[in-house]
Order: sequence, then structure tokens, then C-alpha cells
Amino acid sequence: MRQKRSFIKTLDTVVTYIILISVALVFFFPCLWLILASFSKSGTIYSFDGFFPAEYSFDSFRLLFTDTALYNYPKWFLNTLFIASFSCILSTFLVILTAYTMSRFQFKARKPMMKTTLVLGMFPSFMGMIAVYLLMTQFNLINNHWGLILIYSAGAPMGYLTQKGFFDTIPTSIDEAARIDGANNFTVFRKINLPLSMPIIVYTALTSFTWPWSDFILPKLLLKEKNMYTVAEGLMSLGETEFARFAAGSIFIAVPIVILYFFLVKYMVNGMASGAVKG
Amino acid sequence: MKKRGKQLLALLLCGVLFVGCGKSKGSKDNPTSTGSALFQGELERNVTIRVLENDTAIERGYFNELMNAFNEKYKEYGIVAVDANMDQYLDLANDGPYGYGPDILYQANDVLMKYVKGKHILPLPVESLDCYEQIPEVAWKAYQSEVDGKVYTCGVPVNVQATMLYYRKDMLPNDWDTTWDANKNSIPDMLENWSAMYRYSKEVHEADSKKYGYMVSLYDPYFSAGYLFSYGGYIFGQNNTDPKDIGLGAGDAYKGTMVLKQLARIMNEECIDDTIKRSAYTKLGDGTYFATVSTPDVYTTFLKELILTYEKDGLSNDEAKKKAEENLVITSLPKLPVNGDITQESNEFMETKSMGGINGYAISAYTNAPNACLAFVDFSTSYDMMMKRNEYLGIAPARNDAATAAGGLSAILYEKLASGNIVIMPSIQEVAQIWDPMNTFFSDLAKDAFRKEGEQKYITKESYQKGLDTVSKQINDAIFTLTTKE
Repeated sequence: MRQKRSFIKTLDTVVTYIILISVALVFFFPCLWLILASFSKSGTIYSFDGFFPAEYSFDSFRLLFTDTALYNYPKWFLNTLFIASFSCILSTFLVILTAYTMSRFQFKARKPMMKTTLVLGMFPSFMGMIAVYLLMTQFNLINNHWGLILIYSAGAPMGYLTQKGFFDTIPTSIDEAARIDGANNFTVFRKINLPLSMPIIVYTALTSFTWPWSDFILPKLLLKEKNMYTVAEGLMSLGETEFARFAAGSIFIAVPIVILYFFLVKYMVNGMASGAVKG
Repeated sequence: MKKRGKQLLALLLCGVLFVGCGKSKGSKDNPTSTGSALFQGELERNVTIRVLENDTAIERGYFNELMNAFNEKYKEYGIVAVDANMDQYLDLANDGPYGYGPDILYQANDVLMKYVKGKHILPLPVESLDCYEQIPEVAWKAYQSEVDGKVYTCGVPVNVQATMLYYRKDMLPNDWDTTWDANKNSIPDMLENWSAMYRYSKEVHEADSKKYGYMVSLYDPYFSAGYLFSYGGYIFGQNNTDPKDIGLGAGDAYKGTMVLKQLARIMNEECIDDTIKRSAYTKLGDGTYFATVSTPDVYTTFLKELILTYEKDGLSNDEAKKKAEENLVITSLPKLPVNGDITQESNEFMETKSMGGINGYAISAYTNAPNACLAFVDFSTSYDMMMKRNEYLGIAPARNDAATAAGGLSAILYEKLASGNIVIMPSIQEVAQIWDPMNTFFSDLAKDAFRKEGEQKYITKESYQKGLDTVSKQINDAIFTLTTKE
């Protein structure tokens, strides 16, 4: 009986691992292929020996940063960093304020506003592309990175619901206790709720950074000059024989996000570990 | 009070409506009947003109050279030409009216001429240009448009683009001069006629199943339409200006489709789509293919791949480059048998026509400095600059004197253009409707070569003709039935 139970347990473990490894492979394999392709010596996809490159070299990465006459990857990288960083700061600020207001304050238009944003959020953002383009031409914000930052930041508060859900989980009794001690709204927000909200702030900052970082549609619409391109738009403009450079560029754009993640992840854990109401 | 509020609201609404009536920023009136009124001959002073060149010209440093030379010549007027720094395939119709397009564009004739109907490019006083006499009429025609009985020229031809045969000299049989030179003219037969190319390709593939002789993406009308033209087919009547007359099946064009299907038999199924078009650089380089067809502007891409192969074989970069330059050859297309059957020996051959394009400059209708732009176009199409362009990019100049002086491939292309063996892509807007039906037909035709005996669609003359008539009808439907009438 005990032997049978042990066998079933082992079988369960083996099957679970097989499923997990298979799923992991499905997700990991394209990444591995892209990484290997970025080291392809010939540069084109058609010289591969079967599925993988026949020869490897660092040429694609070297060209990415040195051969800038036509494809100025370093410039695109800095442009993207600029747009993503400022969008991240402004978006996080606006989203957190919106979510906190909707969570903590009761006012007449609160419910209608929540319903409206919910309905508006259901429409895909590219529906308004033509309107956005025309508006940007009137504001002279075509070929201007601030135009993109403005759109990303202004649109971000529409997705405040996740953050509001987080604020809803922080007991209002803490706010009340602080108010009894003489704290005003701003103090309650800054000294009580903000430190407790680190995980959601970090989450908001990360998502606000990654959206502009990888977006293609909006930069394609608003940035016409090559030296204003973002990485996504620039990579799409590469010639058809530049696949290895495309792969290298795609691999390299992951670097800032990974750094940002490792830098911010401790705040997520710290925030989650901290408590407020004891007993 | 309430009434006053309503009045105020009505007034505000009227105001909003009138705002829409203002002249939009960056836009200017399009030229109507003639553009020459804008070209007064007096150069605008202290202006910057944005020039959109093609990527290869920028990459190889020609464009920089051109701008520097122009800016030096016109510095006393304060005219500065700069790189528009935009995607070479930008849409002037969308970006031009808002002031975000370039002042001068360099593109193929079909791309530039699509802007004519919307008056996005200016008609030019081409007779005043230095290159006018040197460019053949057929090239000027690619940029002409007729409105109310008056002919306007909206672009200046720079270079001729047409399909050419690329092959590896070192992959010719060692004894070709005795076995593959029937007429003893020191030119291998497979480069002279398609029948020999067919035989040689079969031989190459039979000797090594991984290797092929001639390979090309047959589905691409740019490569395949020439076979129809050679036997009497055409796209639009009246020198490609009458969209009501679609003649892909005219004359003996069905013989062209027979040749295409026969060519498919010496290839593999990759000829059905655009796989070969993209992989040809690598495959010709590594010796998988002996020959393919492409345009002269991609010569360096082929060369790069061949150099890599030789480097892999142990040669130094210099040695590999020298050997690659020696062995990668571009030449005109082999001749076609008059009877349209390349599988049999034939004694009667005729020239193969190919579809081509004329790349050139046009001036945006939204420029603030048309005269300075015209000066730039004049300067960049001068003999010296065309020779420099040829030297940097290997293109075939549209100017007779430059083509003659450059010799070689440029002279061949110029001669083919002048003799009518390069059929220029139509410049009318309706040309946009020809590509999809033709892609589908050529793809089906190539696929037919790989179908089983009883399942093949194209066997008899009638079936080939029916296929061509169907595609002509599809194009006609796309132009006149499916598009919105204005």
C-alpha cells in the first residue's frame, strides 16, 4: 500500500515536471532562438544551419553601436529611455493620485466617473489615432518626444482600477486614527498610505515604463524623423538582410527593464511585508 | 438669464465652426493647372531644403557628398540642403499637408506619380534643366501626366532600374568553352538563352540535389511580367496610360506563362512565394544557386554574402573581396525561344523584355522654396553628379552621356531602355491594383509545376490564355468595380 502511494507520488511529480518543463520550453525557446540569432555571423536568417545560425560572432552587437550612419541605434535607445522615463514618472504620479482619490474620497461624480472610465477603457486606444495625429499637428508636437510623453501620461490614469483595488485593501481605520491625531488629507496620504503602497507604486512604475518602452504604433504615428525614432520604430525600419542586427537590438532593449526590475523588486517585497493594523 | 446663456452658447458654437474655416498651418494652395508659375527662376535666399534620398545612397556616403557639393555651390544664397532624415517609404499625402514631409523626394516613378492626382508634387519646368536633352523620351514619359490635354512632367529621371541576371562565374562548368558554347562566341550558352539555362539548371540539380541552377521568386510580377511582355503582353494600353485596356493576355503572352511554368520545374517550391527573393543573397553566396535575377542596386548585398563564403573557405578579407568581385557577375537576361518552349532545343531566339522603373526626383507641393529645390534637382542630375552616383552606388544613369561614359552595365541598361526592352512600370494611379491579382496568378502558375499529373490547371494553350484573361479581368474589376468612383 505504502509502495503504491510512493509510486503515485513519484508519478505525480514526474508528470508535473514534464508539463512544467514543456510549458517553460514553449515560452523559453523563442527567446533562446532570438538570442542565438543575434549572434549570427552572416546577419541574415537564410544562412542558418537548420534552425540555428551556422556561425556565431559579436558583429551584430558591434554594428548596432558603431554603424550608425543609417541605423542610429544608440540614439534610438536614448530617445526611448527619455520617453519611457518621463512617462513612467508622470504616469505613476497621475495613476496613484487618481486611484487614491477614487478609493478614499466620496464625491458626487465618483460613481459616474468610474463607470465612464470603465466603458472608455474598453475601446482600443488606436481608435483615436487619427484624432491624436490631428491634435498633435495643431499643438506642433509631431516629431517631439514630449508629445508622446503627454499622450502616455494622460492616458495612464484610465487604468487606475488595479491601484484603486490595492488602496481599498488598506483599512480606512488607519486614516481615521491619523485624522484624530490631527493629520490632514495630504499627511494621511504621504505618511500613512504611501509607505504602505510601495508594491503597487513599483508595479505602476514598471508597467508605465514598459508600455512606452515597447510601443510601436504611437511612435510610428508621431515621429517622422529617423533621429527621433524610438527603438521599436527604428528596429522595424531595418532592411530585410539585417535580421541579426534586429535580433541584437531586440535583445538589448531588455537590459533596462531587467535592471529596473532588480532595482525595484525589493520595494515590492518590503511593502508587502510591512503591516499596519496589529493584533 | 437663461436666454442670454443660450445666446452665448450659440455664439460660441458659431465661433467654433468658423475656426474650422481658417487656413491650416503648414498647408499651402496646391498648384492647379501648372506648376511653372512657382518656378520664377529667382532663388529663395536663406532657406533649408529637406531631401529624402534612398537608404543606399545615405549608407554609402554618396548623399553626403552630394549635399556638401550643393551647399558649397549655393552658400552665397544661404541655401542649405539637409537629409530629411525620414523613412524612405514615407507617405507624402499624409505628412506633406501638415508640413512634415520632405521638400524633395527620390523614389521610383510609380511611387512618385501616385502623388500627382492629389497634387502633392509639383509639375516641373524640365526643359530648363541641364539633363533634359540627355534623358531619353521613354524615361521622361514615366513622369508625365496629362490633364485637360496638357502634358505635365512631375519628376526628373535619375537612374534606370530593371531586372538583371546575377550569376557565379566560378560555378560555370570548367569546360564550358567546349561543352556550353555552341556558337563559339566565348559566352556560355546558359547566359545567352533560357533553353540552355534550363538544361544547365537540371544538370546542376541532378548532380547535387541540394543545389540549383537558376532560382527566382516567380510569384513576383516585377520578375515574371517581363516574360509576358516579351511575347506581346502589356499591362495597360496606350503606352501604359489607358487602364480600360488591360492586355496581359495579348499577343502570344501565353507563351511567357509556359516558360514560367517550365522554369518552376527546375526550381523548388520556394519559387511559389517570396522566399527566394529574400534568401537569394545568401544562397547565391554560399553556392546553393548558380544564378538569380534582381535589380542592380542590390549588387553589394550579393557581394557581401559571397565575400563571407570565401572568408569561410580560409581567404583573407582582401583576397575574398577580390575573388568575389571577379566571380559575381551581372548581365542582361538570356534570350527567349520564339516558340515559347525552353525544354526543347531551339534555333530562333528573341530578346527578353523586363519590367523596370525609373527612379527620380520630385518636388513636394508643400515646399516653401520651389526654386531652390529645382536648383538642387538640376545640380544632382548634372553629368558630374550622375557619374559620382554611378561610382558610389553602381546605378545605371538615365542620362545618355553618363551611361555611355560609365559603360558596362549602365550602358547595357540604357540601351535596353532606349530600345524598348525595359518596360517601365505604369505611372498611373491604377497601377496599385495590378499587383495582387498578378501575384496570385503567378503563384498559382508556379504551384502548378508541383501538382500531380492529373491535377494541373495549366497544360494547354487555352488554359494558359484563360488564366491570363482571368487575371486581366480581376485587375479590371479592382479598378472599375471595387474602387470608389470619384
